[in-house]
Amino acid sequence: MFTLLNIIGLSFGLAGFIFITTYVFDELSYDKFHTQADRIVRLNTHIHIGESKMDMALTSDGIGPILKNEYTEVEDFTRLYTSAGAKLIRKAGKWINETHVAHADSSFFRIFSYQVLHGHLDQALTEPNSVVLSRSAAERYFDSTDVVGKTLETNDAGNTVYQITAVIEDMPRNGHFNYDFLFAMENAPYWNWGELLSHNFTTYILLRNATDRSLLETHLEAYVHKHGLPAAKRYMDVTDIESFRKDGNVFHYDAIPITDIHLRSNLRGELRPNSSFQYVYIFSAISLFILLIACVNFINLSTARSANRAKEVGVQKILGASRSSVAGQFLAESLLLALGGIILAIVLVALSVPLFNELSGKEFKINDIINFRSLPLFALLLLFVGLVAGYYPAVYLSAFNPLQVLKSHTVISSGKSVFRSGLVVFQFTISIVLIVGTFIVTAQLRYIQHKKLGYERENILVINDYHALGNQTKAFRDEILNLPNVKTGTISGFLPVSNSSRSDNPYSKETVMTPNNTVQLQTWHIDEQYIPTLNLELVSGRNFAVARRADSAAVILNETAVKHFGLGEDPIGQQIHFQFGDGMESFHVIGVIKDFNFESLRDPVTPLGFFLGHSPSQAAFKIETTDLPLLLSRIENKWNKLAPGFAFDYRFMDEAFDSMYKSERRMSRLSLTFAAMATGIACLGLFGLAAFMAEQRSKEIGIRKVLGSSVTGIVAMLCKDFVKLVFIAIIIAVPIAWWAMNKWLEDFTYRIDTSWWIFILTGIIAVIIALFTVSTQAIRAARANPVDSLRNE
Amino acid sequence: MIKLEHIFKWYNVGGTRSFVLKDINLQIERGDFISIMGPSGSGKSTLLNVIGLLDEPNEGHYYFMDEDVLALKPKKRTTLFQSHMGYVFQSYHLIDELTVYENIETPLIYKNLSAKERKAIVGDMLDRFGIVGKKDLFPAQLSGGQQQIVGIARALAASPKLLLADEPTGNLNSKQGEEIMALFKQLNEEGMTIIQVTHSEKNAEYGKRIINLLDGQVK
Repeated sequence: MFTLLNIIGLSFGLAGFIFITTYVFDELSYDKFHTQADRIVRLNTHIHIGESKMDMALTSDGIGPILKNEYTEVEDFTRLYTSAGAKLIRKAGKWINETHVAHADSSFFRIFSYQVLHGHLDQALTEPNSVVLSRSAAERYFDSTDVVGKTLETNDAGNTVYQITAVIEDMPRNGHFNYDFLFAMENAPYWNWGELLSHNFTTYILLRNATDRSLLETHLEAYVHKHGLPAAKRYMDVTDIESFRKDGNVFHYDAIPITDIHLRSNLRGELRPNSSFQYVYIFSAISLFILLIACVNFINLSTARSANRAKEVGVQKILGASRSSVAGQFLAESLLLALGGIILAIVLVALSVPLFNELSGKEFKINDIINFRSLPLFALLLLFVGLVAGYYPAVYLSAFNPLQVLKSHTVISSGKSVFRSGLVVFQFTISIVLIVGTFIVTAQLRYIQHKKLGYERENILVINDYHALGNQTKAFRDEILNLPNVKTGTISGFLPVSNSSRSDNPYSKETVMTPNNTVQLQTWHIDEQYIPTLNLELVSGRNFAVARRADSAAVILNETAVKHFGLGEDPIGQQIHFQFGDGMESFHVIGVIKDFNFESLRDPVTPLGFFLGHSPSQAAFKIETTDLPLLLSRIENKWNKLAPGFAFDYRFMDEAFDSMYKSERRMSRLSLTFAAMATGIACLGLFGLAAFMAEQRSKEIGIRKVLGSSVTGIVAMLCKDFVKLVFIAIIIAVPIAWWAMNKWLEDFTYRIDTSWWIFILTGIIAVIIALFTVSTQAIRAARANPVDSLRNE
Repeated sequence: MIKLEHIFKWYNVGGTRSFVLKDINLQIERGDFISIMGPSGSGKSTLLNVIGLLDEPNEGHYYFMDEDVLALKPKKRTTLFQSHMGYVFQSYHLIDELTVYENIETPLIYKNLSAKERKAIVGDMLDRFGIVGKKDLFPAQLSGGQQQIVGIARALAASPKLLLADEPTGNLNSKQGEEIMALFKQLNEEGMTIIQVTHSEKNAEYGKRIINLLDGQVK
């Protein structure tokens, strides 16, 4: 039974280790597949004016060409334009919403390395109206990859038809972007070409030498003076960069190596949500810990059997076996067990790939993890586990004095070993940290889900691609509002959940913009139904009214915006101003709404202004019905009538809200899994150690019983020792967990306190688990007849 | 004090009963000093364990101070054992991790005596057996004879009426053995009832009565 426990514990630990190692290596491998990866950097923009801070992974369209022209170190540049978002592409008469789309410069394939299936990449994007497809996109639309020369119709201006010029293999999963369609840059629906202060492009630079990066930074600084300042002067009262920066303002570009983006960049405008090095550290540590826990187990369980095998060693030695040959035998046994553990672990891994993918959000296939390349890893693991875990038992067992072990039938040695106790403390420390982590992550998620955000998100139906209705958007809304269970409805793409429009622009309090009177304001275009539909609270003033023509020059601010502008106690009626080109627009404040969390709770509320306008990309309806499917099918019917050929795509606001916290939920599930795993393996080890102690102390237990101890007394005595170890573990684990979890919570502007009860609860759980594990062994040992352990031979 | 009637103890080995004790009838009075003798496997230790309540016979009656022991509940039996019996072993069976002092103190802890009472009794014992100077030593630091003296001190600490000894001198040299036997004799003269199991004719002579066992039967 010990052998079985041993192998099972080991295989679970190894399976966990293999998975996490795969995960970590995958995280570290991002964008390394580009053959020029060491020479590619992405440009970032940092503009801080007063309270408003913009740190973006975006640049203007102009910076790339300028840098290439002026500096020889810049060998080439390429840009991606994704600000237009998804595209509708026609397939057999039906419009399909494609999200993995971008416009790219023709230099894209000179800089990035992708495998071509058909066509010529160097010419692929030079002509307007050309498009490059991925293998899976080509297969989806044409059931074939050999589609060069065929065309695709999109909803771009005038329903542009694009010609397919090349098909590439699907972009590798481990890139910081992943597109199925790359359209020619000429077709980008952008209207502000050449404006150096409008940031809508992702720009990559190919350096001539990997070592030129610091040189590039100095060029970027020169660029700010030479090109950035003149551009800024057109909007703002600035004379030179130094005095602008003196007030704590920032105007600055920098470059990040492409291979760092996935783990070290978290700016606005990332092409997709990146991960963070923090998680790589956490998971590396966890994987190492799980491996160590598994090894520790192996050691504990192996030595636990030593009492039974002592006699065998004694006989072998008396028959002339040397210590090294005995040790060799034990090492060989441990290697064999480790082999069994690894084989079982591989089976476990193969079986649980889908589960792991769901947990980690990756898309591994079995052969990504188990393949010929990973064989050396497994061999290394085998050696490591077999030798490290086998070393101690081998040395320990082979050192038995044959005469002593043969004379008395228990091993003459103290039942308490600092080494083994240390191992148990170590295991439980890790388990406790992980359990605390699980509690706190879960509590924070609960807090987020139940926090009053200042707007209503229950029973709000959001219809995506609403602009597919063309000029029927209002007609459709009115028809839906006529349905019995629909209360109110608003047409606006600016909703307080992710995957909604965002736009921010600098507004100033006075007519002349200076660094000190300017606020970077979220500019949301809404209709008069927006505030009632989302149930936002007006603290003063009024909502927009369609009847008042003057409201087109009105603005409703949130409380934070009022504070940042410094509009004082009575903001109603005051004005804010927006500069564009050579002109200026003024808006008067008609209302103030209470702050609500329109971004993730990781971030604080920023200044926000509502403007009366038409932004038809989404619409939201408040519904109250007991028969949701019926209502949905009614809405869909109307949709199909007014927008034939466009898929009816909807979501519920509370679900959209939940999806903003995907990575936290993943974190919570992962930590729960690993905490359970680590605790489970630690308990196996504890079980083994308890059995070991019970064996070793059987003589002492016998004596104590003869001296009058009751069974309960013995059980208490045995358990006490283990509980003591768990207490030590708690004392070590609590500060570590406290520190680590506060660090994690720092990411949230709105967060729970790490309350003491979590630690106490975890402590109690750990003690209960330990007691439960140990007591079975202790009771068995205590109930044994002392005569058996005390019999004299 | 002790009355054994038709005590049988057996093990089932492959369907047949292998008897360890076979129809033992025995009466032992207060103040007696009994030596149980017999070859290996004759059932000496088992008989001692039955008397010492560490083992139960399969059949028969056992009266200890007129109480039908085998009919008692386990808890009652433990109390009876704690308050009336002391055990001495061939290999001493001291607890390695405890000092001499603590070893002697252990049975008193199980009797729920207060720390003050325990201190008085242990001090008394150390005094009586002349091992005051060794009270902070661990068993491994003592000679065999000294360890056995600690074992006896521990057995007597709880002031039993009956002292059971299983080959108390088996691991000792003859000089140490003689000392222990002299000690037993002295204890018996002071009124202690003693039952010892022994191989040695010479040691058996210290007893007032010798019981010879062969194949589980009294000869």
